Amino acid sequence: MKICVLIKQVPSSDALIKLNNDSTWIKEDTVVFAINESDSFALEEALQIKEQTGEGEVVVVSLGPDRVQRAIREALAKGADRGIRIKESFPYSSDPFEIASLFAAAIKDDKFDLILSGLQSDDLGSGQTGVILGELLGMSTATLVVETKLSGESIRVKRELESGWFQWVTMPLPASITIQSGINSPRYASLKGIMSAKKKEIRLIEKKELSGSIPSLQSIEHVYFPQKTKRTEMIEGSVDQVVEKLTEIIQRNY
Amino acid sequence: MNFSIIEQIILTVLILSTFSIFFYEIWRRLRIINKGRGKLPFDYFSKRMLRVFKEVILQKRVIQGRFWPGLMHGLVFWGFIVFSIVTLDHFATGFERSLFSKSARHLYTFIATPFAWLVIIGIVALAYRRFISRPESLGKLSLSSGLVAIFIFILMATYLYGETTLPYLRQAGTLASKINWWLHSLVILAFLSLIPKSKHLHLVFAPFNIFFRPFDTPEHIPTKIDLEASEEEMDQLLQNLTRLSKNQAFDIFSCVECGRCTEVCPAHRGGGILDPKNHFILDLRDPLLNSKDVSVLGQINVEAGWECTSCQACTYACPVGNQVEKSDEIRALQVLVEGKVPQEYQKLFMNLQESGNTEGAFHSSLAEKLPEYTPDKDYLLWLGCFARFEIDPSFTKAVTDFTKILDKAGVTYGVEKDEWCCGDPANKLGDRMTYQFLIDHNLEFLSKTKKITTLCPHCMVNLDKEYRKFSDISYVVEHHTQVIATLIKENRIQVKPNHAGPVTFHDPCYLSRIIGEVDVPRELIKATTKNFFELEEHGSNTLCCGAGGGLWWKKEGTGRTHLIRAQQIVDSGCETVVTACNFCFGMFNQGLGPLTPEDQKPIEIKDIAEFVQERLT
Ligand code: SF4
Ligand code: SF4
Ligand code: SF4
Repeated sequence: MKICVLIKQVPSSDALIKLNNDSTWIKEDTVVFAINESDSFALEEALQIKEQTGEGEVVVVSLGPDRVQRAIREALAKGADRGIRIKESFPYSSDPFEIASLFAAAIKDDKFDLILSGLQSDDLGSGQTGVILGELLGMSTATLVVETKLSGESIRVKRELESGWFQWVTMPLPASITIQSGINSPRYASLKGIMSAKKKEIRLIEKKELSGSIPSLQSIEHVYFPQKTKRTEMIEGSVDQVVEKLTEIIQRNY
Repeated sequence: MNFSIIEQIILTVLILSTFSIFFYEIWRRLRIINKGRGKLPFDYFSKRMLRVFKEVILQKRVIQGRFWPGLMHGLVFWGFIVFSIVTLDHFATGFERSLFSKSARHLYTFIATPFAWLVIIGIVALAYRRFISRPESLGKLSLSSGLVAIFIFILMATYLYGETTLPYLRQAGTLASKINWWLHSLVILAFLSLIPKSKHLHLVFAPFNIFFRPFDTPEHIPTKIDLEASEEEMDQLLQNLTRLSKNQAFDIFSCVECGRCTEVCPAHRGGGILDPKNHFILDLRDPLLNSKDVSVLGQINVEAGWECTSCQACTYACPVGNQVEKSDEIRALQVLVEGKVPQEYQKLFMNLQESGNTEGAFHSSLAEKLPEYTPDKDYLLWLGCFARFEIDPSFTKAVTDFTKILDKAGVTYGVEKDEWCCGDPANKLGDRMTYQFLIDHNLEFLSKTKKITTLCPHCMVNLDKEYRKFSDISYVVEHHTQVIATLIKENRIQVKPNHAGPVTFHDPCYLSRIIGEVDVPRELIKATTKNFFELEEHGSNTLCCGAGGGLWWKKEGTGRTHLIRAQQIVDSGCETVVTACNFCFGMFNQGLGPLTPEDQKPIEIKDIAEFVQERLT
């Protein structure tokens, strides 16, 4: 079983965010970066699947600047077998379609049986990369997975739906699935793991080498903190009057 | 009394076989102990002997910890000493010899007879406690304890019968005296063969164990990690993590199963599963004997290991000199070998690795407000993450009050902008690699420092005792309470007692038990208020607030470890509780409010620095 895990390095969840000078991104040197939370669950799931089947390979794939090397090393120290990093520098790709296309170009020859990724990134949160990648590589896809069961040439996954509902889906392999946080307990890199990670390969690919035909459909113009304002208006009267007033307010504002 | 040659042969065989069993069992254990890491210490010989005298001969800890049962134990023990000579003489009689002249024997009977009665009182009281009142800490009923109680009783009864009822008949060698003599002998021999296989081995091991007990509490072998090491060296390091030290192995065979360690344990008292007597000591005994080796640390219950606050109450309570706590070892195994770490601690470790502090912060506004350290200043003021990143913003006043005291006394100080976490949480939670990383960073500027002061006992323990294990350090570390006390003594600041409602002091466990400072905080408080009273558990018998051992960062769980001390403080009727540790401060600041009944005035929590500063004249 060849498993690919997409990981993204994002600012750690309680980092104190500041903006860069022209407000196009955050100031990177004053935050702790970490593996995106749901990605670390995806990695753990991949490692457990490999341990259960007793054979195969887990490859972590990431896109990003040099700092991302540490995230890949961490994944290797936890037990992934090798890494692939597509190098990029600021400004970073933010378009999930572009990112998925880059990944597809980088890994298509590896012929993975399974691609696992986090449900969404904690910074941009589009939640699409894993699905688009699956689609581009002609795999079956599923999102929001909270349990996986592998059997032969197919995989059964439990998906989280709205309001406490779940769904079991069986899909043929190869498949790309996105993992919900909390599905397992991610391990910590053991000392042995850290030592052996030093010898594991991380293949570097220049983004340019891959980009040729890949269109970028979006870029970040401006980031800002949510504006908090307080405007309270009490609406009183009978139900009909309240409804009428509400529609009027909504119409006035949009 | 006359003994036939047949009787003497039987006696000889019995004595020889009992002694061979006895020594074989002891030798078997010593061989295992000898495989342990490190050496058994013989340094400070006279200091160690003095300790043996106090704790063995005078039974200091035995009696201090539990007065009545301790005293009863003392009676039996002192009786044993007196009877050792009686016993030798007894067996000599079997070979128709005597240790004493007639008059000396007569005299000795006068000493031994009252002791026999005291031993009977002691053993009956202890048996009553163990089999009738049965306190929980003693655990399951043990057959060997019952046998031993009966044996001791018979020994004393046969002695008394022999000495008081039969003194004239014994010459004649009546059947009664013969039977009495044999009964006494057989019971002694049975007792001897029971000792090594039961907790009664403490009779032999405890005095040595008390002699060998490290002076530092706790004493864990440091793990020095070199990431450039070869694979073999790394394998050896990981293998060593599973091995007990000689001292620890000695502890396990010395344990008398009294349960004092568990009785005082805050995790146990808070309803946790941790039971140091079993988890850290007895659970390892069979694995040691069965494997004939010391690689048994992996047998410690992991969940229990994560509950420990590393407060050392267990070690302080142990009457046979055990260093009980082993959360250090099992956590290191979990982190470094297994990679199994609760998620909240993984986050903490990552923060430490990426930013050098527990909070993942890159900026401290408190540090910016304080003067920077330069070598011409008197003290490097070590803030520690708790104060530096204002984990509890109310604690900031303690820091600034301390600096006001220093200013007033004309003492110069500064903070180090490169200060990283001292490493306490990483070390206590088992991440020795991150610990090493932090130490290496800090030692770089600390090596140029002469005097450090800090408000955090955890930082102090690390900078002083722990760093010393990694590098030759030349600086001294003083707790801020010690600095303030010196300033008062030297008359560089003056304080005036100020009216205050009842004030009590919570001894931080790291300050009182690990650093050993209990007097100075009291001097300071007593100099500043007339209304001081002690909590029931105080000084080195203090009860941990629940934050030690990295548990400050533990996710809110079900246990009440963190509320037991807070509840005691609420119940004490104090208006102010003074403490001397930022974690204690933070715990009480969160914990006291919700526990205080509505009709009770909210309790004020103050660091000693605040309490003194408010009373400067
Ligand atoms: S160190 Fe404290 S918490 Fe840990 S086992 Fe001993 S008494 Fe219990
Ligand atoms: S370790 Fe010490 S305190 Fe604990 S049960 Fe054994 S002898 Fe008693
Ligand atoms: S916070 Fe205080 S009582 Fe609690 S562990 Fe630390 S020193 Fe001990």
